[in-house]
Amino acid sequence: MKRVKERGGTPVRGLLPLVLLLVAWEVVGDPMSPYFPPPSTWVDGLRPLVEGDKLLPAIGQTALTFLLGLSIATVVGAVVGTLVGASRPVDRALSPSLEFLRALPAASLVPVAALVLGYTTQMKLVVVVLPATWPILLTCRTARRTLSPVLLDTPRTLGLSSWHRATKILTPALTPAVLLGVRVAAPLALIITLLVEIVTRVDGLGAVLGAAQASFLSAQVYGLLTIAGVLGFLVNWIVTRAETAVSRRMRGTT
Amino acid sequence: MTPTISCDDLAVTLPGASGPVHILRGVTLAVEKAEFVSVLGTSGSGKTTLLRVLGGLLPASGGTVRCDDTAVSGPPEGVVTVFQDYAHSLLPWRTVRRNVALGIEAKMSKSERDDRVDEALTMVGLLDRAAEYPWRLSGGMQQRVQIARALATRPRVLLMDEPFGALDAMTKASLQDQLQQVQELTGTTVVFVTHDVEEAVYLSDRLVVLRGSPADIGLSLEIPLPRPRHQITTKERPDYLELRHRVYEALGHTVGEPARG
Amino acid sequence: MVSLTKRVNLLGGAVFVLAIGLWELLVRTSVLDFTYLPAPTAVAEGLGELFANGELLGALGHTLFAALSGWALAGLAGVAAGSVLGLVRPVWMYSMASLEALRALPIVAFVPVAVLLFGFSVQTEIMVAFYAALWPILLNTINGMRTEPRMLESGAVLRLSKAAVLWKIRLPGATAMIVVGLRLGLSVSLVLTLVAEMVGNPAGLGFLLVEKGQALQPGQMFAAVFVIGVTGIVLNGLVMGAARLAFRGQMASSGEAA
Repeated sequence: MKRVKERGGTPVRGLLPLVLLLVAWEVVGDPMSPYFPPPSTWVDGLRPLVEGDKLLPAIGQTALTFLLGLSIATVVGAVVGTLVGASRPVDRALSPSLEFLRALPAASLVPVAALVLGYTTQMKLVVVVLPATWPILLTCRTARRTLSPVLLDTPRTLGLSSWHRATKILTPALTPAVLLGVRVAAPLALIITLLVEIVTRVDGLGAVLGAAQASFLSAQVYGLLTIAGVLGFLVNWIVTRAETAVSRRMRGTT
Repeated sequence: MTPTISCDDLAVTLPGASGPVHILRGVTLAVEKAEFVSVLGTSGSGKTTLLRVLGGLLPASGGTVRCDDTAVSGPPEGVVTVFQDYAHSLLPWRTVRRNVALGIEAKMSKSERDDRVDEALTMVGLLDRAAEYPWRLSGGMQQRVQIARALATRPRVLLMDEPFGALDAMTKASLQDQLQQVQELTGTTVVFVTHDVEEAVYLSDRLVVLRGSPADIGLSLEIPLPRPRHQITTKERPDYLELRHRVYEALGHTVGEPARG
Repeated sequence: MVSLTKRVNLLGGAVFVLAIGLWELLVRTSVLDFTYLPAPTAVAEGLGELFANGELLGALGHTLFAALSGWALAGLAGVAAGSVLGLVRPVWMYSMASLEALRALPIVAFVPVAVLLFGFSVQTEIMVAFYAALWPILLNTINGMRTEPRMLESGAVLRLSKAAVLWKIRLPGATAMIVVGLRLGLSVSLVLTLVAEMVGNPAGLGFLLVEKGQALQPGQMFAAVFVIGVTGIVLNGLVMGAARLAFRGQMASSGEAA
């Protein structure tokens, strides 16, 4: 009863400082500044990309890598997480190796993957999949481990086949955990996608951003940064919505 | 003689989800020095609200609240509230000893503080657990830590909000007896909120029943049972049983159905 | 005896060693056939070379300096700003949404901006590390400052001063959360420092990786990756150890004790 006001999101008036900052920047900023070009110049900065028909394909490539990477990570993370969580010995056998792999920062994998796999889309995917898998794998492992034994015994006493056990009991029981993992993994996957693109310059928004910086097109850099921000915001918004909607349906409430 | 803590024609209105909710109206209560007064009522009857107002944690919407002739605004000196949820009241990162010292450590020298903490912990029988963290103790022990924390400040008034409500029957009985001893030893004034009729009759010099919505005092009853009281013998006395009967009846009328128990 | 075998995960260690052995075997027998995939023995050799010619320690020192400077600055700024945001409701109301909007900017996209502003310098690295670490520290501090209301009431009932409530209840209550923020912040600042070294300032482990890649020395390159992984683990361990030493009660009560 006392906790009613806890949730409900952040008040919109909190955007005021950001808006004021941008307005002040616009008013005070020097349009020729090589460091801080005011917001109105950002659109102009992006114009050559739009006219050269480069911007949309770049966003498309980034989105494709992101979506494919996240999908593969979800499948791998869910399957491995469930297997590892189902058995203590398997968990103990694999956890040191998994922990070590997890400790490798995604950034350090980029040059390695580029060298071994070449500057290709597959290389981008590999680099995105690896770090994005962890959150999903970990939530799945915990969820599978803490699954009530009664829930697993019930279908056995009902004489369900193992296929039906997997589809009718395990999958619905673990879906909320997978989604929770995806919610964490999705922004991460987007960041890694941009990271690979910035570092290797292979296609996508990150590559365009890196190129703009290398040619000191500062207005374009800020314009692309804004686009990346909008992408980040969209991804966050979608996964948060999806996760709450599904988990609400699965658990009844919350 | 002026009462130690009192309220006169007290009204409390709190904002609710659908408009203001009137919790208390016209509550007048005066607690004398060293008196043990229980406040009984069904859940949601406003007992806790009354205690929070007396403790200065909630402002009154109408009427007056006084502690030794000074109007209460904020927790008064020498008045300490003991909450039901001991787990959230104690600081989990402090040991039992440092939890008990919380209220006095800024006010006195280290040696004096240590003496006070030892004294308070001895009163609740937890001196040997002083170095432990509270979350390693049982619920009953944690509640004793909270009581010791209050006692360490040498309060004149203890306001207790269903302090034993979350404990099992055995623990509850032993803590009731410990509280009795402590009160006898220190002469502390106690206002004790509970929904347990037996507990209220067993512990109190006087009990009041909150009734209605908004609530006021429906019954005020002296409990002239001899002290010290005993879990077994006191509860077998015919006058105990009769008092208990009267309280159940008073509560039964308030909920509109025959009381059970 | 039981506790010893429990603590030392023999099975897990064996699997780790086995996996490395398998990798060696697959590369040697050319089942795994990539031109630039080294066998573990080649990686070990590369590690030895890097160590011997001093490149490794120099690069490691540079990267650690940049990452830790940025992280430490972020720690100061994040805890201070987070405390204000967590404690002063109006400030929170009139700025939280701005912060959330800024946080949506993928941090890596900020790297080109930093390179633009600070050039190919160590300042770029420190700024990027600072910005990366700031977010987890700031947000965790804000959340940590949401003290359990009952604890605050306990403080009020015992007539603690405002300063005492802050110092004895709010800050210790937030410590475990702040430490989580600091740990997260440290690992992201390390990652982002590496990125800044790859695309910006040519120095440190990040540049070493790129350089060895361009020089077609996969053994040394994998060795550098290995060192980066170990560095991350060691740094995390150090932060946890320091936190447990300094805030014994707080860490123990949040289930983080050893």
